[in-house]
Amino acid sequence: MSKVFAVIRREFIERVRTKAFIIGTLLGPVFFIGMAVLPALLLSRETAGRKVVVIDAGSGEFGAKIQQALAAAKKGSGADAEAKFLPTLLVAGARAEEVRDSLVRFTGLSKRSDESIDGILLVSEGGITKGEVTYLGVNVGSPRDMEDLRRLLTPVMMTERLQRAGVDPVVALKAAVPLALETRKVSEGKLTAESGGATFALAYAMGFILYISLLLYGTQVMSSVIEEKSNRIMEILVSSLTPFQLLLGKVVGVGMVSLLQIGVWTMAAKLLRDFQPQIMKAIGAGGAAGGGVPFMLPSMPTDLLIIFLTFFTLGFLLYSAAYAAIGSMCNTIQETQQAQMPVMLFIIMGLMSMFALLNEPNGNLARILSLVPPLAPFVVPVRHSIAPIPIGELLLSVATTIAGLLLIVWVAARIYRVGILMYGKKASFRDIVRWIRTA
Amino acid sequence: MAETVVAVDGVTKRFAGHTAVKNLSLRVDRGGIFGLLGPNGAGKSTTIRMIMNIFLPDEGKVTVLGSTAGSRQLASRIGYLPEERGLYPKMRVIDQIVFLAEAKGIARSVARKKADDWLARLELTDWTTKKVQDLSKGMQQKIQFIGALLHEPELVILDEPFSGLDPVNSKTMREVVVEIARQGRTVLFSTHIMEHAEKMCDHIVIIAHGEKRVDGTLGQIKRDFGGQHVALAFTRNAERASRVLQDRTLVSKVSDFGATAEVELAAGESGDRLLETLVREGVGLSRFQIVEASLQSIFEAKVGAEGARATAVREES
Repeated sequence: MSKVFAVIRREFIERVRTKAFIIGTLLGPVFFIGMAVLPALLLSRETAGRKVVVIDAGSGEFGAKIQQALAAAKKGSGADAEAKFLPTLLVAGARAEEVRDSLVRFTGLSKRSDESIDGILLVSEGGITKGEVTYLGVNVGSPRDMEDLRRLLTPVMMTERLQRAGVDPVVALKAAVPLALETRKVSEGKLTAESGGATFALAYAMGFILYISLLLYGTQVMSSVIEEKSNRIMEILVSSLTPFQLLLGKVVGVGMVSLLQIGVWTMAAKLLRDFQPQIMKAIGAGGAAGGGVPFMLPSMPTDLLIIFLTFFTLGFLLYSAAYAAIGSMCNTIQETQQAQMPVMLFIIMGLMSMFALLNEPNGNLARILSLVPPLAPFVVPVRHSIAPIPIGELLLSVATTIAGLLLIVWVAARIYRVGILMYGKKASFRDIVRWIRTA
Repeated sequence: MAETVVAVDGVTKRFAGHTAVKNLSLRVDRGGIFGLLGPNGAGKSTTIRMIMNIFLPDEGKVTVLGSTAGSRQLASRIGYLPEERGLYPKMRVIDQIVFLAEAKGIARSVARKKADDWLARLELTDWTTKKVQDLSKGMQQKIQFIGALLHEPELVILDEPFSGLDPVNSKTMREVVVEIARQGRTVLFSTHIMEHAEKMCDHIVIIAHGEKRVDGTLGQIKRDFGGQHVALAFTRNAERASRVLQDRTLVSKVSDFGATAEVELAAGESGDRLLETLVREGVGLSRFQIVEASLQSIFEAKVGAEGARATAVREES
C-alpha cells in the first residue's frame, strides 16, 4: 500500500508543481472575475446615448409619445444616470419617406461628425393599426439595443391602441401582467425550500464538471503513461510495482490534482460571489450594478452532494483507467487521437443522456441508463436533482458502476501490463484481445 | 555447494518472427560477480528481462531467490538497472531517487538519508535539487545506478551497466560493483566489453544467437579452451608482423589489434620459431609473452569473429 502512496504522491506533487497547473489554476478565477465584471464594466464605460430621429408620418402626436418614452430610459438606476437614447422628433406627414431617405446619409457617421445619428425610427398611422414600427440604423445587429427599443415601445404602442379602441389603458395594462409561475419542489413527500430550476441547473453543471475533468485530467493519465513509455522509465517501475499499483496510483494521484483545481476554482467563485459588490466598487464599476449578477451558486442539498461526489469519483476512476489502457497501447499522443474514440463516444453519450431523461427522469430509459456503468456518473446526479431516486435503486446503480469499474480496471491493467513495454509498435485489436487473455 | 540465487531452466522466448533465446539454462550462485556475455542481439537483455519477470518465457522456468513468483514480489531484495535507461526528466534528482526507493518499499526518511550518502559518494551532491533533465547522460546513469542499489538488495542485476560512461565514471561504478560482491551479495551483469568481464567476473556465460556457448568460472573456461597463446606488442613494422601471423604453420588463430595481437600457436609450436621469424622480418617487439587465452579470443572463437567485431564497432561508436 505504501508503494501506491508513493506513486500517488509523485503524480500529485509533480503535477501540482508544473507551471501549467499553477497558471491554469490561477487563470480560472481570473476568468470568473472577467465573466462577472466585464459586462458591468463595459456597460458603465459606454459612450453617450444613441441619437435617434423619430419621423412621424402622421400628426406627430404618437411620435411625441415615443420620443418621451425613449428620452425617459436611463442607463442604471441612479439619479444621475445617463440617458440611453437622445431622441429628436420630426413630424414629416406625407413627406416622411423623403425625409427618411435624406437622413439615411447621416446615419452611422458618429466618429466623424456631430451631425451623425445612430438610427431612424419611422412611425405611421398604418403602423399603429398593424402594431408596426420601422427602425433603420447601424446598430440593428445589437440585441441589447433592439431589446431596449422593443421594451420601451411596446407599452406606448399598446396604450395608443387601447385608447383608440375605447378601453382605459390603465385598467387594461393592469390586467395584462404576465403570469408568474412559482415553483417549489416536493422531495420525498416533503416540501423543500428550493425551486426546481436551481437544482437542475446545478446537477447539469455537475455533469459538465465531470465532462471537463475527464477531458482535462483523464487524458493526462493517458499522456503520463505515454511519457513513461517514451522516457523508458517503465522498465524500472514494472520491476518494483505491479501494473495494478501503478495504474491505481496514477489514476488517484491525477484525480486528486483535478479535485484540487476544481476546489480552488469553486472557492474562488464563491468568494467572488460573496464579495462581488466590493470588487465592483474597487474597479470603479459600482454604478452599473443594474447589469445583474452574472452567475449564481445555488446551495447544494447534502444528498445530492454525496451522490455527485460518489459518482464523480467512480466516473473519474472508470474513465481514467480506460485512458491509461489507451495510453499503454500507443507510443505517441498522435496515435491516441484515434484510439481514444471509443472512450470519447461514451463520454459524449453520457452528456447526451443527461438531456434524454429530462422529461421522464424516472422512466424506463432513465432507469436503464443509470445501470450502464460509463453513463451512470452523468445520469444519476441529474435524475436525482429532478426527482429523487429511491435508495434501493441508487445502491443498485452504485453497485453496477463499481462492478463496471472493476471490470474496466481489470481489463485496463491487463492491457497496461503488456502494452507498457511495447515500444515502437502500435497495438492491433487482435494484440489487445490476446493481451487481455494472456497477461 | 553454494546456494543458487538465480536458476534459468530450459528457457525459450520467441518474438514475432524470431527466437530471441533458445533453450537456455544457467545458474547464478550466491556471492561474487556473474557475467552474461554476448554480442549485440545475442539475447542478453531478453534473458535478464525474463529473470526480472518483465517478459514471461514461452518455455522453461525461471527461479529467483528460491521463488518462481516473479521479481516484483521480491522487489525489495533485487536491484535492477535495465538496458533501456529512463528517468522522469522533470523530477528533481533527490525526489527521483527517493521515489525509486519507495517503490521498493523503503521508508521515505530512510531513503532520503541514503540518497544523500550515495549522491556524496558519486560526487553528485551539487545536483541534489536539480532537475534530471539538466544532468549529463553519464550523471543520469549514476542516478539510475543509485536507484538500483539504494535499498541494499542481495541480488543486483545490471544490464550493460558501464556502456556510455567515460573511463573515470566507469571505474567508479566498477569499484562499487566489486564492493557489493565483497559484501557477499550477488551481482549479475551483462556486457559485451570483454576487458570488464575478464577483470571482474568470477563466473561467465557467453551466449550468441540466443544459445549458450560457454559456461564456467573464468579459470575453468581458460583451461578448457586450451592452446598455447602468445601476447604480442609491436613497436615498429607492425604491418610485416601481420604478414607473418598469416602463416598457419606458425599460428592457428590470430586476434590482431594493430599495435598488439594475441595468437594461438599452431599444434607442436613452442613459440621459438614465431619469435625468430618476427625478428628476422624486422618487427620491433615490446612484448612477447606466453599467456593464457584472453577472454576476448575465447569470445571470438566461440561467438565467431563476425559477432565479436560487430560488438567492438558498436562499442567504439
